[in-house]
Amino acid sequence: MPPLGDFFRSVIEIISIVAIPLILLLFLGWGMVRKVKVYEVFVEGAKDGFTVAVRIIPYLVAMLMAIGVFRASGALDVLSSVIAPLTNFIGMPAEALPMAFMRPLSGSGSLGIMTELMKVHGPDSFIGVLVSTMYGSTETTFYVLAVYFGAVNIRNTRHALPAGLIADVIGMLAAVVITRVYFGI
Amino acid sequence: MLNYVWIALIVLGILVAVGNDVRDEIVNPYANGVPIQGRLEGWEEGGLAMRSWEGMLVIPAAVFHEVYGAGREEDVRVRVRIAGGSGGTITLPVTPEMPEIWKTRAARGQNADRLSGTVRSLDAKSGSVTFVFEPIRFVKLRAVVKAALDYAATAVTIALGLIGIMALWLGVMKVAEEAGAVRLLTKLLGPITRRLFPEVPPDHPAVGAMIMNISANLLGLSNAATPFGLKAMEELNKLNPKAGTATNAMCTFLAINTSGLVLIPATAIAVRVAAGSANPGVIIGTSIFGAGCATIAGILAVKLLQRMPRFRKDDPDNERKDASLG
Repeated sequence: MPPLGDFFRSVIEIISIVAIPLILLLFLGWGMVRKVKVYEVFVEGAKDGFTVAVRIIPYLVAMLMAIGVFRASGALDVLSSVIAPLTNFIGMPAEALPMAFMRPLSGSGSLGIMTELMKVHGPDSFIGVLVSTMYGSTETTFYVLAVYFGAVNIRNTRHALPAGLIADVIGMLAAVVITRVYFGI
Repeated sequence: MLNYVWIALIVLGILVAVGNDVRDEIVNPYANGVPIQGRLEGWEEGGLAMRSWEGMLVIPAAVFHEVYGAGREEDVRVRVRIAGGSGGTITLPVTPEMPEIWKTRAARGQNADRLSGTVRSLDAKSGSVTFVFEPIRFVKLRAVVKAALDYAATAVTIALGLIGIMALWLGVMKVAEEAGAVRLLTKLLGPITRRLFPEVPPDHPAVGAMIMNISANLLGLSNAATPFGLKAMEELNKLNPKAGTATNAMCTFLAINTSGLVLIPATAIAVRVAAGSANPGVIIGTSIFGAGCATIAGILAVKLLQRMPRFRKDDPDNERKDASLG
């Protein structure tokens, strides 16, 4: 279905260029029409930007430090080789495993793995499509948790992490299933 | 749970790093302490009359093979600088032609641009030289320490980088709120949000911010999504009776957020284009399916987990109920 893909691609480009000016125009214009003192209200809202950003720092330091240690140690390879027999069983190639582990931990890390695997196997190979689907199938759970909870000083995160990780695992498995369906295997 | 995962990342990281370094110590892949013998090309007797000598070092393929066990057809020829004769120093600047193992060695040593070692013996007549490289130790542990410090600094850079975008979108959001645009969105999507967040009053500002966040995420506008999301967390926290503990609504909101449903996975498509894909857009469909499954799984998981005793006992809303009963 290449034509459909191309169509979507041009839609993306248009959205990514037009969306922000459109939102600005819509909201600020709406405010103007409704006789909101737009400049004053904008500044009032923007004031919070600094405090929120600064409040996140300790949470982000704690999280990124742990992720950095984990990444640099080579633990990812160890973990991948331990889990490989299990994932081979469900039809997920061992090459894609580091991607599955890295995706919830680090956006830049998983981007690197994706780029590397596509260079080696080709972007349109099974592994190439699989890793790019995996990249699009979930978010960097740990980063999101640190930032969002950090912004409101939440330390006891309760079931947010397990739920996020369950979603990640399901997302990765779904990526394997749909890619296999696409390739007819 | 986050406590355990956090400490597990750190402990596992350090243990694996130590394990890797101990293995390197036993296997000695960098041939630490093994003397290498070579010949200085163009050496003349008394070459060290000046304090140092520069020229080419030739190491026969057979010698190289014996030291590193790696197959090599040709002799190794590299630039070299020798100072001080026997017991002096030998320095090899890193060049593209250098054997891979030496490049790796340099990259993991003290200086990335050169290899250095000690001259064991130097025959003044023939220019035959024997030397050992400085040992390479604790490669992974050093990398771990560096990563910990680098990432801590990165965290601050990221947070500070958020200030501007945060201010911009929070300002826009405030105008939209005052204009009533957010309330309209909230009303439109009320039937969905009421089911997802039964703890949040349907007309609460948190709902509007969450809708804005999820829409921005769907459109792939992550720059705008984060400020809206953080605003939503602040609003949700106003409903939180117990500071420092996550409410069910917050966990549900994050479960949706961490599943990362995007209509168009622009980053992955860009990488595919760069990699020369014939059909970069093919992952749009597959990603929506994957992220859709993740989102549904995340919502189901969060709703099931919040009923589990170990997560229920900390539920801030429970305490409020208890307080009103008592």
